[in-house]
Amino acid sequence: MIDKIVDPEKLRHFPPGGGKIELYWLYTSGKAGNEFFRKLREGKFIAARCKKCGRRYFPPRIFCEFDFSETEFFEISGEGCVEAFTIAKLDLNENPMEEIIALIKLEGTDGRILHLIGEAKDVCIGMKVKPVLKKVDEMTGTISDIKYFKPV
Amino acid sequence: MPAVVGVGYYGFNTNTPDMSWKEIMYEAAVRAYEDAGIDPRRDVDSFVTCAEDFYEGFAIFDEFVPDQLGAVVKPTCTVCADFLYGLATAYMQIESGLADIAVVEAHSKASDMKTFGEIIRHAMDPIWLKGVTRAHPYYFAALEMSYYMNKYCISEEAIAEVVVKNKGNAILNESAPYGAKLTVESVLNSPFVFYPMRKIEIAERADGAIVFVVARDEIARKITDSPVWIKGIGWWSETSSYDTRSFEALYAYKAGKMAYKMAGIEVPVKEIDIAEIDDRFAFKELQHIVALQLAGKFEVCELMREGYFSRNGSLPVNVSGGNLGVGNLLEATGAQKSLEVVLQLRREAGRRQIDCELGVAQCWRYIPTASGAVAVFGV
Ligand SMILES: [Zn+2]
Repeated sequence: MIDKIVDPEKLRHFPPGGGKIELYWLYTSGKAGNEFFRKLREGKFIAARCKKCGRRYFPPRIFCEFDFSETEFFEISGEGCVEAFTIAKLDLNENPMEEIIALIKLEGTDGRILHLIGEAKDVCIGMKVKPVLKKVDEMTGTISDIKYFKPV
Repeated sequence: MPAVVGVGYYGFNTNTPDMSWKEIMYEAAVRAYEDAGIDPRRDVDSFVTCAEDFYEGFAIFDEFVPDQLGAVVKPTCTVCADFLYGLATAYMQIESGLADIAVVEAHSKASDMKTFGEIIRHAMDPIWLKGVTRAHPYYFAALEMSYYMNKYCISEEAIAEVVVKNKGNAILNESAPYGAKLTVESVLNSPFVFYPMRKIEIAERADGAIVFVVARDEIARKITDSPVWIKGIGWWSETSSYDTRSFEALYAYKAGKMAYKMAGIEVPVKEIDIAEIDDRFAFKELQHIVALQLAGKFEVCELMREGYFSRNGSLPVNVSGGNLGVGNLLEATGAQKSLEVVLQLRREAGRRQIDCELGVAQCWRYIPTASGAVAVFGV
């Protein structure tokens, strides 16, 4: 009674050819994104502080979303603390996989990063972690320039 | 105050291989117009549909709408959000004097989607989130669950109770495809897919279409003997940023406050008789019950265990079976919630009928959002 057929192709006399939407974009990472990924090549992490209320944003951005005012960038360690985690066992198409994904509170900020956990036998909430970066010549200016976070 | 004067629906099914999305909309519309006793070509002043292009599989969805609703050469618009946002739009059109009778529609043809995970992934921030993992976006809800369980000491058993209750309620709902008789033990023994989330705690997708006919006060009284009044409506968004959001359904609390204030409700837990709330992941039901002020954050687990929210309990929640029993209806989720409340208030809920005069329906905009809407209905 629990498992039901949800794939309509198993039910049709005339399997539709279906259709696909091929969509490609250039996603602009913006001023804050560019600054972050450029600094990351030097092994540095930056965050952004609101000039008005002082809230420290990670991911960095050029404006404060609470009082709509400007921010300034500053350097942080990149280390943080696991706030929540999940062990994911299904990929996008519901095929098996296994990865630990965590919400990490970044030290010296009021923000978070969402990333993978690697080199860890066990993971728990409150665990201290630090980033492991790709080699500079493998970096592409995207979030996967950070390979994962590992226990400190 | 506008009232619901007619409802129609088609579904809900795991699959609808014999009907197109347009045909299920047509079926639901015909039933709603029959229920209200109106002719859409003559009587309806405005039509509102709720749809997301990526869920539909083609662009500019509003262009594909008018014919199947009887809305050709009439004022029509599409709201890119859940049904409850469409209901709010219809409400405002009526209150502003633009329309006397408005129609709201939402549907799900989820079974036509071959790559649901990929589509939801397109809702993730492309710079900071999308490239992190190829895991199914369900992971994002699991992270919120991990955060929520840890912060408020939510037990696995309480979450399992939600699954048992809702799938059990669905057995009495002929329109719910995912009903099942389960025990807390059987749920706890079932496999994890996104630890701490089990597969059985995730609402499977379902197909269906729902249409409401909404009318201005005086007209509602003329059309029907059993108008269901829209007493309050509210919607609210936190932020798209995962770093600044509360991860504890602040959107539902705020949307609820907006709707309660409009309805003149001061103590929801004392005044609300029935609640249909978003449970597309089992933990979300607990979180939303608290956000809607129907229980305290530290007592919700105990109340769930005691059966307070059961069909026979003091404050029945998801008597229809919820999304766990009926299915994930995408943008029609709030429509199914509203439909159940309306049927209950009209005493047309058959074997699952409960005694009620005031009900609340709530939806969340699903992964990865922190947005949602709430409506209060009364007789
Ligand atoms: Zn600020």
